[in-house]
Parts: sequence; C-alpha cells; structure tokens
Amino acid sequence: MAKTLEGYISELQGTRVWRSVFRGGAGANNLRRSLAVQQNVFLHLASVKISRRSLSFRATWFLGTLSLGTFLILAITGILLMLYYHPSVPQAYADMKDLQFVVSAGVFLRNLHRWSAHAMVFLVFAHMFKVFYRGAYRSPREFNWVIGVVLLILTLLLSYTGYLLPWDQLAFWAITVGANLMSSVPVLGQKFRFLMLGGNTVNANALLRFYVLHCVILPLTAAVFLAIHFWRIRKDGGLYTGQGDSK
Amino acid sequence: MLRRIGAFLFGDSARAFGTLAAVLLVCLAITPAKDHFREWHRYQKKYLGLIRTRGDAATLQRRFQDGLQQTWIPELGVVDRCTTCHVAMKEISLQDVATQPFRPHPSIPHTLTEFGCAMCHRGQGAATGVQEAHSSTLAWEQPVLAARYVESGCGQCHSNALTGTPQLNLGRKMLARYGCVSCHAIREPGQGRMQSTNPAPPLTRISAKTSREWIFAWLKDPQAYAQTATMPNFQLSDDDARDISAFLMNQSAAPPAAASPAPAAAADPQAGASVYGESFCASCHATVNAAGLVVGGNIGPELTRIGSKVKPDWLMEWLSSPKKYDPHTLMPRYRFEQKQLDLLAGFLQAKTDSDLLAKVQLQPASAGQIAHGKILVKERGCASCHEINGVAKPESFAPDLTMIGSQSLAKIVFAEGVAHTLPDYLQAKIRNPHSFGKATKMPQYTFPASQVDALVTALLAQTERAQALPASLRVAGKRESDYHPAGKAGQLIADMNCFSCHAINGRGGDMAPELTWEGSSVQRKWLVSFLKNPNTLRPALIRRMPRFNVTNAEAETLADYIMTVYQTPSFDGGELDAAKFGPDEVEHGRQLFYSKYACQSCHIVDSKSDKGYIGPTLTHVGARLSAEWIVQWLKNPQSLRPGTIEPNRNMSDEDARALTAYLMKQNREVAGK
Repeated sequence: MAKTLEGYISELQGTRVWRSVFRGGAGANNLRRSLAVQQNVFLHLASVKISRRSLSFRATWFLGTLSLGTFLILAITGILLMLYYHPSVPQAYADMKDLQFVVSAGVFLRNLHRWSAHAMVFLVFAHMFKVFYRGAYRSPREFNWVIGVVLLILTLLLSYTGYLLPWDQLAFWAITVGANLMSSVPVLGQKFRFLMLGGNTVNANALLRFYVLHCVILPLTAAVFLAIHFWRIRKDGGLYTGQGDSK
Repeated sequence: MLRRIGAFLFGDSARAFGTLAAVLLVCLAITPAKDHFREWHRYQKKYLGLIRTRGDAATLQRRFQDGLQQTWIPELGVVDRCTTCHVAMKEISLQDVATQPFRPHPSIPHTLTEFGCAMCHRGQGAATGVQEAHSSTLAWEQPVLAARYVESGCGQCHSNALTGTPQLNLGRKMLARYGCVSCHAIREPGQGRMQSTNPAPPLTRISAKTSREWIFAWLKDPQAYAQTATMPNFQLSDDDARDISAFLMNQSAAPPAAASPAPAAAADPQAGASVYGESFCASCHATVNAAGLVVGGNIGPELTRIGSKVKPDWLMEWLSSPKKYDPHTLMPRYRFEQKQLDLLAGFLQAKTDSDLLAKVQLQPASAGQIAHGKILVKERGCASCHEINGVAKPESFAPDLTMIGSQSLAKIVFAEGVAHTLPDYLQAKIRNPHSFGKATKMPQYTFPASQVDALVTALLAQTERAQALPASLRVAGKRESDYHPAGKAGQLIADMNCFSCHAINGRGGDMAPELTWEGSSVQRKWLVSFLKNPNTLRPALIRRMPRFNVTNAEAETLADYIMTVYQTPSFDGGELDAAKFGPDEVEHGRQLFYSKYACQSCHIVDSKSDKGYIGPTLTHVGARLSAEWIVQWLKNPQSLRPGTIEPNRNMSDEDARALTAYLMKQNREVAGK
C-alpha cells in the first residue's frame, strides 16, 4: 500500500536536514511535544499544552489574535508603503498622490494600511473590554493587564504618528491640535511639545520625527511588548477561560 | 436554506479556511482589475481608433506613445500627467478634431514640456483620472482654470508686458491705476511692491481748491462728477459724507490770499477753446463731448464739469504754476501769458453742471461732526491714497495680495451664492464687495466685465509658485528708474514735466518719443527752434507737443544739455559731414527711396506727391536729424529705439549712405528761412 501523507511528512521530519534545522521534532509523546515548542524561537512563546476550551470562540472572540493579525498586516503594508514614501515636506503629499494615481495597487495598499489601523484600534479596545468584563485581568494576570495597557497606548501612538505622514490639511491640523494639547502639561508642557515637534510649529522636523517614531521606534517597542504579553499568557497559566482560576 | 449554505461554506475548519481563502483571492483580484480599467486606457484606445481612418495614420501611430505619460520637471515641482489622455498635444495635423482630449495645443512661445500643463492651466497635474485632474476635490482645491484667465500663467514669470497677453497687461495696469496697490501690497517677484501709476491728489490744501459741497457730492458718487473718475464709490451715507467733507475742509491749510485776479467774466469762449486746443490739454485731460463720448487722454483728471469744482483763484494759480499746489503733479508749467490764462480759466470755469450741486445743502459743521469725519477717514483708509493733514498713511490697510492667486480656499470666506473657486471669489469681490458683509471696507468700483476679467487674471498671476520661481526664469518688468537730470536743465525738465510724456533713461511716460539719445539724433539748431515753437512731425497724430512758451535762454540751456548728455555710445555723431555727399549719391538715394525701399508708403518727402502718413514727415529731415544718426537708423532702427515700428530692412552700408545723402538734402524750406 502506498504511503499516506502522514508517512511522507514523518519521513521528511526524519531527514538530517530537517533535524539540523528544527533540532527535536514534533513527536508522539508529551516530552517531544514540549521540546518541539521550547526549542523553537518562535513557538516557545506559546504553551505546550492548552485547554480545548480556550480555543473556542466564546472564550476570547479571538480579539487578541485578530489584533495581532492587524498588526502583522500593518507591518507588511507599512514596509511596502515605505518604498514609495519620502518623509519630506515637498514630497510627502506628492507621494500620496502618486500612490493614488500611478502606483499599481497603490490605493489598495494605502487603504489596507489605513483600514487595518482603524480595525486595530477598535480590536485592541474590544480586547481590553472583553478582558475587563470577563475579569481576566485578575491575579495572576495583573501584570499582563498592565502590559496590555502599554500596548493600547502604543497602538494609539502608532495611529497618531501615522496620521501626520500624508501631510495634508487634515494631518497638519490634527497634529497641531495634538501638539497644543501636549503643551498644557504642567511645567514641562512647552518642552514636551518642542521635543515632539522638533521645533515650535508642525514642519519638516515634525514630519521626520513622526516618520521615525511611526516606522521604527514605536513598532519595535510594540513588538517587544507583544512578546512579553504572549510570554506572560503562558506563564500565567494560559488563556483565561472563565472557569475560575486556571489549574 | 441559510443554514445549509452556512454548513456548506463553514461546516468544518477546512471548509471555512477554503471559503475565506477564496474571498481573499477575489478581493486581491479587484486591485489589478482596477488598475487595468483606468480611464486613460480607454482614451488612448479611442485615440487610436480616431487616427486609424486619417491620411497620416502611419505617422500619427508611430508618434503615439502608449502607457502613462508625464512631464517631470523636478526643479519646478512639476509632475503633469495630462498628456496621458491629451495624447495629441503636438499633432498639428489634428487641428480639425473637435473632441477633447484629442485636440492639439495652440501654438505658444514655449515648448509644451518646458513648464508642463498645470503651471498655466492649474488643475491637478499628477492625476490620471478626468474628475481628479479637472475638478476641485476634497484633496485638491485648484480646478482647471477657465480659459479666459489663462494669461495669468504667463504672468507668473513675466512681469513685463507681453504682446500676447493683452488681458494680463490691462489687469496689471488697472491694479496700478485704480488705487488697488495703494491699500493692498502686491509684490512682484524680485521687484518689490507694485507702485501706483495714478497718485491721488493731496488734500492738505483742499479748501483752496474746491467747496465743501463739491466734496460732499464727489464722496457720494465720484462717477456722477466725472464718468472716468478713478476714485471708487465708498457708498457713504449722507451723514458720513457730510462729516468727512467737514473734516477735510477743517484739516485743510488756509488758502493763501488770492494773488491773481479772477478772470474777466466776459472771457471769449471761442478764444478760450482755442487756447485749450493749442495747448493740447486734451492729450492728458478728457472731456465728454456733445455726443456723450469721452474724448482725450487719461493722464490728468476729466474736465467735463471742472467749473463746478474748482474755485476761480485756485484755477488761476494752478494754471500758472501747478507745482505750487501739488509738488508731485504731472502737469507741466506752461508759462502762459496773462491773457492766455484769463481765456483758458474762463473757458474751463464755464464747464459747469448745474445739477451736480443743486441738491447739496450743508449746514456749518459742528466739532462733533469734524471729529467723526476724522474717524471715518481713518476707517475708510482715505490716507492710503491721499495726503491728509493729521492722518498718517496706513502701513498695510488691506490684505496683502502678493500670493492671492494661490490662496487656499480654506482661508477664504465666501459670500452666499458665490461658487467655491478662486476666480469666482475674486470676481465677486471686485464686482460687489459689499456682498461679503456690510463691514467690508473695500469700495465699489464700476468696471465692465472685460476689465474685471483682466483684474482677476492679473491677481491670479500672483501665486506662491511665482514668488518661489528660480531667478533665471523671471522676466523683469520695466520699472521706472529714479533718473533725475541735473543742473539748470534738470530744473527746466522738472518744471515742464517732460517726463509726463517723454521717457529718458528709463523714466517717464510713453505718449511721446523716447529721448535718451536725442542729442545724437537731432541738430542743435532745429532743437532750439522746436523747443520754442514745436511744430508737428507726424501729421496723422492728434496729440502733439504743446508749446510751453520757453524763453530763448531756456531753449538754449535745454538744447545744450540735450546735445551734450543724451548721446548714444554706439556711434559718434560728428563723423559724417552731409556736405560731402556727391550729387550721384543723392540721386541714387532718391531712387532707393522711391523704388527699392518704397519709403514714400509711410513717409512724405515731397508734400505734393507723397501720401505716407504713418511715419514722420521728412520734408525738413535734413535740418532736423544728424547724418550719422540717419545712417545708423536705416541700418538698424530697433537698436536705437527698441520697439519702433520702422522696419529693419537689412540695408547695406552703401544703400544707407545713399539714402542719407538724399534725406540730408531735404532741408530746403528751413534753409531758405
């Protein structure tokens, strides 16, 4: 009888090349399974074992996973958009126009980025409410709640810094208003504002600062906090499933 | 049913995955499809269909380039993709095609790729769709400019007056003439602020000149007094006009005691009219004739109803010495004899309109009214144009219009019923400023539609881009120099205001010939006699040089100065001696004059047979011009006087010399005297 698909796969996993890349493979017993997770840089954030209940739609409405999904879409489309965009005053708006008028799939790319950004803000908030109303923030998950709040703030900051980049009237005035809000911080307000804009008005320096924040600093920070967030899920005993405290 | 479909699509995880993947694929397929169905593909296909049936199809097809086209000029920030649809811009053979976007561009002095399209036509050059490119959208304020304003594009680089842009030139002249630039600062790139060419009279001694009643009537409606008045209507209420007139009379310095007696009451109107005519007053001043037509020049004010305005004493003083009243006036001092003065003053004084002041009844002004008048004068910005005692000229009374042509619509408050475009806003603002609210300070002008279009065109040329253009692209306009001739002759030139009509060294008017190199051109003897008694050189012209009654000494002084100072550096006037021309040369010149060059079509040498009225009469030219000048002039007239209509015939040295020999003989009558 011909080999089954599983047969081919297990044969592939037995090869030397496979073993050299993945070290221990998935296996039939719990030890091998847990080794497969622990020895993989990507998988080791996840639990070796999870309850079936925590995979159900009802437990989480998949809000955290969806937030991560939008984040990944944003990262990919954002990198593609960076190929067409110059963060300079004379060029920024013209680049928007070029994306609209001449770049193949430019409108699609931009809209995907834009709508995913809106969706991410919405999903992150929904995620937080779900966690809050289900009481999933309680011990031992208090710290992960705090990380979550940091991630929420990072999401909002990403959204805000991205808003300036099209360099149109809407962007300009939104950032002007935001910067003025900043200056109402007691004592250091004006300094903060100056630091944020790289000057006293929304201009070339502000555009460059927001670009660097939006494309480098904030995404990297968010990635780090995301890693901690996922790692803590495992450390705190997996997803909260509503069955009292986890075992 | 629904449940079954649900089960079919999302029944288990494999089905759900498959369904979602299919949906995603469809979504992704939309994007390349949209790219493929862009509008410009359709226009390019249509164009190919259009040219297929034409005679020159092969040539047209070869020259056609498919795909996105663009004019990209990074240093000017131009990215224009208009030629993606307007594919036949350069195909002159398609001139009969009526449908856009396939018509060729009319011939212009620039190549089409030198500046792109949107620089002149506006619209969104980068766009590749009809709607986005032509219309105003939320993301682009500038729609395509109506064709009638398109000359504004030229004005962004050209501050000079081009022959191809009459509307722009008119608009700019009007901005300077109608006081726009007195309240609004309008800067031309690299040239500083546009200056008024028609300065309003000073009001510091207005009470010597006219009555309070006239001021009141004038303030209420300047055009009722003179239909060519440049002052706009400020739409003042009776009370406001009363108070302003009270203040203006009050601030005026007391009139000096009447020095000259009032003109004889029984002045002969016929003789007065002839003094008016002989002095060529109408070269500068207009009057409305019996047929209701405005006749005369526009350098000075209209005189149709002058008798209802000015006081007799003032008029006498003004006619005998205009600079006494207004040191900056353009009016020359005529050195009239007393009899001429009486006649002219009497003639002007009789030009009255009894209706003008009939209804004006003013009580003596109270202190409160005078104070209120002063406030109004400040509020209305009167001192922007007029010099007034006690009211300083406001620095920037009205908004700066230097970049009004690229003003963001977001910064404009539109009146009701005005379309939301910049040209429409400017039109409405000029036509009816008060539709923008009662508090609007801008006065009401009465321009016909064509002049409003010209003004809007000139304002639309004032763009941010124009200010930012590289200096190498700018073509500077002619700016008046501040040339002041020195010495005694300089005083005479100022006294007679020669610059009102003649230009010398870049300063002065364009009514009369340019005199910068007059000394190289004419003979001294002729010049002296001409200054004393100017006769006409061009019989076809109505305007000519008036007689200023200069004395012998004055004429000699002026002639000396002109002969010495106004010399061209390009040749030496003394080289050619007219006496050395032989009779053969003269005869050869005569033949050239009448046959080869046919000069008699424009000039007259023999007043019996020649009929040329275009150029100056040459019957006395041998006594008037220097021989060397004639030679040089014949060889290249434009090098001596740019813009002259005398054609450049590329004459050889021999021909020019022979013609000069012939022309220098044309001095019989003068020589005979």
